[in-house]
Amino acid sequence: MASEVNTGFLHDKRLDSIATDILRPVGISKGFLIWMGFLTISLLGCIYAYYLQWEKGLIVTGLRDYVSWGMYIANFIFFVATSLVGMLISSVLGLIGFKWIKPIARIAEIIAVAFAAIAGLVIVSDMGRPERLPYVFMYGRIQSPILWDVTVVTTYLVLSALLYFLPLIPDLAISKGRIGHTPKWLQKTYEVLSVNWNHSPQQYKILLKSVRILLILIIPTAFAIHTVTSWLLAVTLRPGWDSTIFGPYFLTGAFVSGSAAVIIMMYFVRTNYKLDKYLTMHHFDMMGKLLVLVSLVYLYFNINEFLVPAFKLKTADAIHLHDLFVGEYAPMFWSVQLLGLIIPIILLLFRFFRKPLPMLIISIFVLVASWFKRFLIVVPAQENPFLPKQFVPHAWMVYQPTIIETAITMGTILLAVIIITVLVKLFPVIPIWEMAEEKHAGKNDEHQKSSTTSNL
Amino acid sequence: MNKRYLLLLLVVLASAHLSAQEWVVPAENGAKLSPFAFNDSTRKAGAELYILNCKSCHGDPGKNNVINLVPPPPDPASVRMQNNSDGALQFKIVQGRAPMPSFKNILSSTDIWRVISYVRSFSDKYVQEIEKKSGRTGAAGLNARILLTWLKEKNQVQAVIMGMKDKITQPVAGTEVKLFAKRYFGNLLIDEARNTDAQGKALFNFPKDLPGDSAGYVQLIAKLSDETAFGETKADTTLAIGVPTYRPPLNEQRAMWNVVQKTPIWLLLSYTFTVLAVWGFIFYVLLQIRAIYKAGVKKDQETAD
Repeated sequence: MASEVNTGFLHDKRLDSIATDILRPVGISKGFLIWMGFLTISLLGCIYAYYLQWEKGLIVTGLRDYVSWGMYIANFIFFVATSLVGMLISSVLGLIGFKWIKPIARIAEIIAVAFAAIAGLVIVSDMGRPERLPYVFMYGRIQSPILWDVTVVTTYLVLSALLYFLPLIPDLAISKGRIGHTPKWLQKTYEVLSVNWNHSPQQYKILLKSVRILLILIIPTAFAIHTVTSWLLAVTLRPGWDSTIFGPYFLTGAFVSGSAAVIIMMYFVRTNYKLDKYLTMHHFDMMGKLLVLVSLVYLYFNINEFLVPAFKLKTADAIHLHDLFVGEYAPMFWSVQLLGLIIPIILLLFRFFRKPLPMLIISIFVLVASWFKRFLIVVPAQENPFLPKQFVPHAWMVYQPTIIETAITMGTILLAVIIITVLVKLFPVIPIWEMAEEKHAGKNDEHQKSSTTSNL
Repeated sequence: MNKRYLLLLLVVLASAHLSAQEWVVPAENGAKLSPFAFNDSTRKAGAELYILNCKSCHGDPGKNNVINLVPPPPDPASVRMQNNSDGALQFKIVQGRAPMPSFKNILSSTDIWRVISYVRSFSDKYVQEIEKKSGRTGAAGLNARILLTWLKEKNQVQAVIMGMKDKITQPVAGTEVKLFAKRYFGNLLIDEARNTDAQGKALFNFPKDLPGDSAGYVQLIAKLSDETAFGETKADTTLAIGVPTYRPPLNEQRAMWNVVQKTPIWLLLSYTFTVLAVWGFIFYVLLQIRAIYKAGVKKDQETAD
C-alpha cells in the first residue's frame, strides 16, 4: 500500500468498469437467500444440540476426567490458526511490497475476522458452566495462559475487523451511488459506514497512516495469539505437548490452513462472481507457491516435533508416539501427513497443479487435514497422561466424540461460513479503489517511466 | 539332567518370588486378639482414625479406589484384607513395610485395635474372638498420670508417673516410658525408652537442634509402654524447647502459582504495558475514523459555500 494516494484515479474512466464488475454480484440474490436459508436451518439443528449441552452439561459430550479437551479445543486451535492468514497476506507480504496480494487482501481479512470471532465462541462451547464466562474477567489470574489467550484473541479480532473496515471505507463511498439494484437498507448501511468519505487527500492521508499502524501492530499480535494458544498445551505436563518448539510449530501450521482457506475462497469468489479479471491465474500461481513455502516450513517443524522424542523414546512419549505411528491413531495421522502436507507439497511444485480447480481440490484436502491435525495434537496426548490409569473407568481413557458435540462443532463452522457469506455478498470483496489506483498509476508509469508513489 | 536342574531352579525362583510378595506374620503375632470387644463406638472411633491415617492410600472401603503403589494397598473390604487374622492386621499396621509406613509411634495400641474394628465392619462373615485373659493388673492400677517438665540447665525432659494404689497417689516405679516429639507425619522418638526410678521419674536427653514452630514450641507426647497394665496412658504437652523455625508458606510471596493479587511484578508490568500499548494504538485508530468523518464534514461545507 502506497504512503500517498494519487486521487487522479477517481476521474479515470476505468474506475467505472472496475466498480461495475466488482459491484455486480453485491446485493441480495435468490441464490444468496437459498444458501443462507440452508445454512440457517442447519444451524438451528446445531443450536438445538447446544441447548441440550446447556441443559445437561458436558456429560452429553465424550469429554471425561482425563480427556477434558476434545473436539472443541481442537476446533478452537483450528479456528485461531486459520484466522492468522489475514496477518500473513496483508501485513507480512503487503509490507514487503508484493503488489499481487492487493485483490486477495480483503478475502484474507474476511477469513481473519470470521474465524477469530468464532474462535471465542468455540471456547465457550467447551465450558460446562458458560454463564460463568464473566468470571474469567472478574477473577482471572494474569499468571494464567488462559487469560493471555482471552486477551490476545480479543485484540486480534478487533485489529482484524479494523483492517477489514478501514480500507473498505473509500469503496463504500465509491459504491454509494452505484448500488441502485440493492435494497434500501443496504444503501443506507453503505451511507453510514462510509463516514463522510469524499476522497480528500487529507482523508487518504489519515486512512493510510491508520492502516499502516494496524498492519505493523497485527504482526506481533498474530504471533502472540497462536504462540499463546500453543502454550495452553505446552505448559501442561503431558507427553506430546512437552515441547519447546510448540509456538513456531503452531504458527507455521496456521499459515498452511489459512493459505488453503484463502485459496478455497478465491476459487468461489472468482467463479461465482465472474471476477477472473481480478483473481487471475497469476494470483493462483502465487498462492500455490505460497502454500508450498508455508507447507515446507511446517513439514520441517513436524519432522522436529516427532523425530526428537522418537529418537529418545522416553516411556510416556513412546506410548504416545506408538499410538500415532502404528497404533489407534495411525490411519488418521498418516492420512493427515500425506494428504494434507506431503502430497500437496509435491503436486504444487508443478505448474499444472497451480491452476484454480486443482488448487481448490488440494486446498480442501489441506484444510480438512489441518482440522484433523489439531485433533491429533489435542486428543491422543490426553489419553496417556502421567497419571495412574489402571483403576479409572474405561470411558476416561478413550475419547469418543458424541453426535451432540459433533453437531455443536459443525455449528461453529456454519457460523463462520455465514459471516463470510454476508461479508462477501453484501460488500465489495475486491478493493475497488486500490485496483483503480493501480491501473491509473500503471498508465502514468508508462508516461513517466518512474513510479510516482513510494512503497512502505 | 540339565532339564531337572532348570526345573529346580525355576521352582526355587518362583518360591523366592512368592515370598517376596507375601507378607509373613510370625505365628505368635498372628494369634494376638483385641483386648476389648468391637462395638459401634469402637467402629466409629476407628472410622475417624481410618480417614486421617489410612484413607489416602487404601481409599474408601469397598470402592476399590486405592492409590497406585507397588505392591498395591488392598481395599479394606477386599477378601485379601479380610483373610488376615486380627493379630496379623495388628502386626502389619504396627510394623509397616515399604511402601506402608509403620504406625508404631503414630497410633496407640488401642487406636490400632479401633481401626481393625472398623475394617472388620466390612466383612459379613467376621465373628470376633476376644482375648480371654483381658482385664488389667499392675502395680499402680488404672489411673496413672504422666507429668512432663523441662529441666533447662540439664537440657532434659523429665517425666514423672504417678498412679493410684490403695486410694493413695504414689509414684509408679520401674515401668517403661517413651517420649516422642510430634512431627509432620508421625511421632519422633526422643532419646530412648527409659524406666522410671523409685520416685516414678524418667529423664530424657533432649536434642538441641530439634526444629519447633515459629516460636520454638514442640508438642511432646509421653506414653507408658505397658498398655495391658495401664491402658492407654499418655501425656500431651507443648513446650517452647525447640529451635524456632519459620517456614514461609509457598503462597506467601509473589509467584506464578499465587492469586492475582500476588502476581510477579515482572509479569504484571509486561502484561499491563503490552495491553495498554496495543489498545492505545487501537483507540488512536478509532479516533482517526472520527477524524476522517470530521474532515468529510468540513469538505462538504466548503463545497456548499
